[in-house]
Amino acid sequence: MKKNRKLFAILLTFALVLSLAACGSSGGSAASTTTDSSAAEKADAAGNATGAPAEESSQDSAAVFRTLEEIQASGTINIGVFSDKNPFGYVDENGEYQGYDVYFANRIGEDLGVKINFVSTEAANRVEYLETGKVDIILANFTVTEERAEKVDFALPYMNVALGVVSPDSRVIKDLSEIGEGDQVIVISGTTAETYLSENNPEITLQKYDTYANAKNALENGNAVAWANDNTEVIAFALQNPGYTVGIPSLGSQDTIAPAVSKGNETLLKWINDEIVSLADENFFHKDYEETLIDTYGADYEDSLVVEGGVTAQ
Amino acid sequence: MPDLGLNVLFKGKNLARLMGGLGVALKISLLSVVISIVLGIVVGLLMTWKNPISRALMRCYLEIVRIMPQMVLLFLVYFGTTRIFGWNLSGETSSVIVFSFWGAAEMGDLVRGALISIPQHQYESAAALGLSGGQTYRYIVLPQTVRRLIPLSMNLITRMIKTTSLVLMIGVVEVLKVSQQIIEANRMSSPNAAFGVYLTVFALYFFACWPISLLAGFLEKRWR
Amino acid sequence: MAEKEKTELKKGAPLLVVDHLTKRFADLTVLDGISLTVHEGEVIVIVGPSGCGKSTFLRCLNALEDIQGGEILLHGERITQNSKNLTELRQRVGMVFQSYELFPHLNVLDNILLAPTKVQKRKREEVKEEAMALLARIGLESKAESFPRQLSGGQKQRVAIIRALCMHPEVMLFDEVTAALDPEMVREVLDVILELANQGKTMLIVTHEMQFARAIADRVIFLNDGNICEESPPEEFFDHPKTERAKQFLQTFTFSRKGS
Repeated sequence: MKKNRKLFAILLTFALVLSLAACGSSGGSAASTTTDSSAAEKADAAGNATGAPAEESSQDSAAVFRTLEEIQASGTINIGVFSDKNPFGYVDENGEYQGYDVYFANRIGEDLGVKINFVSTEAANRVEYLETGKVDIILANFTVTEERAEKVDFALPYMNVALGVVSPDSRVIKDLSEIGEGDQVIVISGTTAETYLSENNPEITLQKYDTYANAKNALENGNAVAWANDNTEVIAFALQNPGYTVGIPSLGSQDTIAPAVSKGNETLLKWINDEIVSLADENFFHKDYEETLIDTYGADYEDSLVVEGGVTAQ
Repeated sequence: MPDLGLNVLFKGKNLARLMGGLGVALKISLLSVVISIVLGIVVGLLMTWKNPISRALMRCYLEIVRIMPQMVLLFLVYFGTTRIFGWNLSGETSSVIVFSFWGAAEMGDLVRGALISIPQHQYESAAALGLSGGQTYRYIVLPQTVRRLIPLSMNLITRMIKTTSLVLMIGVVEVLKVSQQIIEANRMSSPNAAFGVYLTVFALYFFACWPISLLAGFLEKRWR
Repeated sequence: MAEKEKTELKKGAPLLVVDHLTKRFADLTVLDGISLTVHEGEVIVIVGPSGCGKSTFLRCLNALEDIQGGEILLHGERITQNSKNLTELRQRVGMVFQSYELFPHLNVLDNILLAPTKVQKRKREEVKEEAMALLARIGLESKAESFPRQLSGGQKQRVAIIRALCMHPEVMLFDEVTAALDPEMVREVLDVILELANQGKTMLIVTHEMQFARAIADRVIFLNDGNICEESPPEEFFDHPKTERAKQFLQTFTFSRKGS
């Protein structure tokens, strides 16, 4: 009974805090240019709401994150990765974490001299994990955005992402101007591609689908002239499905993917940045690409996708 | 026979991982069910108390649980306790807390229903035999309540097992998450694996819930 | 004549004394200053039209109802709902109700043994022996392991009587125990009560079975509007009722074809 009452009190407190904070930050930012689904935005917004009072109280209490020294002293680092986003972060048939992000994570553990505790994260809870210090680093295909940078600290990037457009070999679309008046372009609802095209090219008629599978079927059935999505997705699609070509591999602004740490964790951030810079000497991320991504994206895109030493080409 | 991608289940430790995931789901839900039954009896008793404050408080508790999506509760307990109190609860502990918090309220309401369905003359015959209030609850009211609860709580238990799929949001890798991992890891080699894997998950859920409903049927028959 | 002798014989010491008992439900006065003395070994039958307060009266005697005036004394000890030794007093007053109130989750034997072993802390084996003997007397030995749902209404009421008897009460209260029974089962229950009377058990019985009342009663109490309207030996009450109200009441039990 006592436990129950305590729990009740705690949850009542949460509900109050949540509603107060939500009132305070009701003028939140509008749509952003992330590559993730709208669920991520919602969770981020919720994280922001609960985050407001916590930041105030954390001034007198200890910081939520662990410094570099504390991590090394404990002997284990908690790294949040995807467990079902092949080929960036996934679990193989032996239960081992694999992928482009995980390859880098393993190197971090090695160079820090600590064991790695992989935490399975979702797109929607990555910010929350860092804000509560439940993981030390997020290495989960985390696109750098201004909105996120207010809540977490991004290190140097290690990969590029942009939008891409794939179309059948019979009529390869190499530029958006080739799309005529009667033509339609497939997008998945809630993705960056949808936002980008409706904002910047309102003259193009969009055909919207809820799932990847439906969008794929629509293109294969010839319902539209092209399919716009994250360039990694369209590149992988074209490689798997002969007869299709990525005519526009990089559309709109180039975004980058980077490791992130809790806001203010300067010691860890500096260490990761130094690490990324020094790994350039051995062309580490190209090796990572060749180990993990080449089967999906092919050698042609290696240089446009990989960022070495934190230096973006464009 | 179309390719259901069932072969991916036999790669490496995949089948064992899937069973392990089921184990995690069952561990969380069964632990929560047991706690829910114990706390639910207390909540149910408080709900039938004449004290208006305890009744209002319990009413409020039940409404909060009904209104709040379980996902929000999971986030509140897993991340919220770290933010506010600095506790570092594990995902599994948080799940058990949330599911028990939810289950105790729903179970409490079922207990309340079962308690008020026990006829007044049961209390009176117990009193006429010289049983004290406590003895009446212990020997007469609670045993009958628990028997009435079994069929009612079946629905809640199976819902709880199914709802464990939400705990992947707080980093707990249960059966559904494992199946997503398996499907994704093989999306190049076996693009059709989703169907076969989900079919297997369906069978696993079924075989987990079936004995429970069999047991409930048996107990119901025995106690009716 | 024989009954009269019995009455004289049975007049032992006063066991239960009811003095100006008043019971009100809100503004409604149900019992209006009832006084009655029950002697050891006496069988009192309470009759009256429905709503006259006879069931309420019995329930007051066991403190299932609180009272607003007067007092109830069992061997000089007051019975009220606030009595400290209420559960102890209730053990001394056995009661059987109209509705079959066996505990449905316990078998016949456990129904009987619950209170003696848990309340009186008697040894299970000893009570079991007694219970089995009593069950044998009413021919329900074979039902000891049965659950209430497997019994007929008459069987359930007989078990309920045994359950109350096993507490060794000083007085037994029967509240219309056959009212909810099918006619063919009434007899078997009344026979059990008759046998108790022959053994000299002190009893207060509320019933609508007038022939039974006449046969078993030492004294008949006619309750009307919360008052004792008539109090007399059975022959006198049934053959020569003193009040007009009692005459009317008794007429409801006799049938004749009008105009013949």
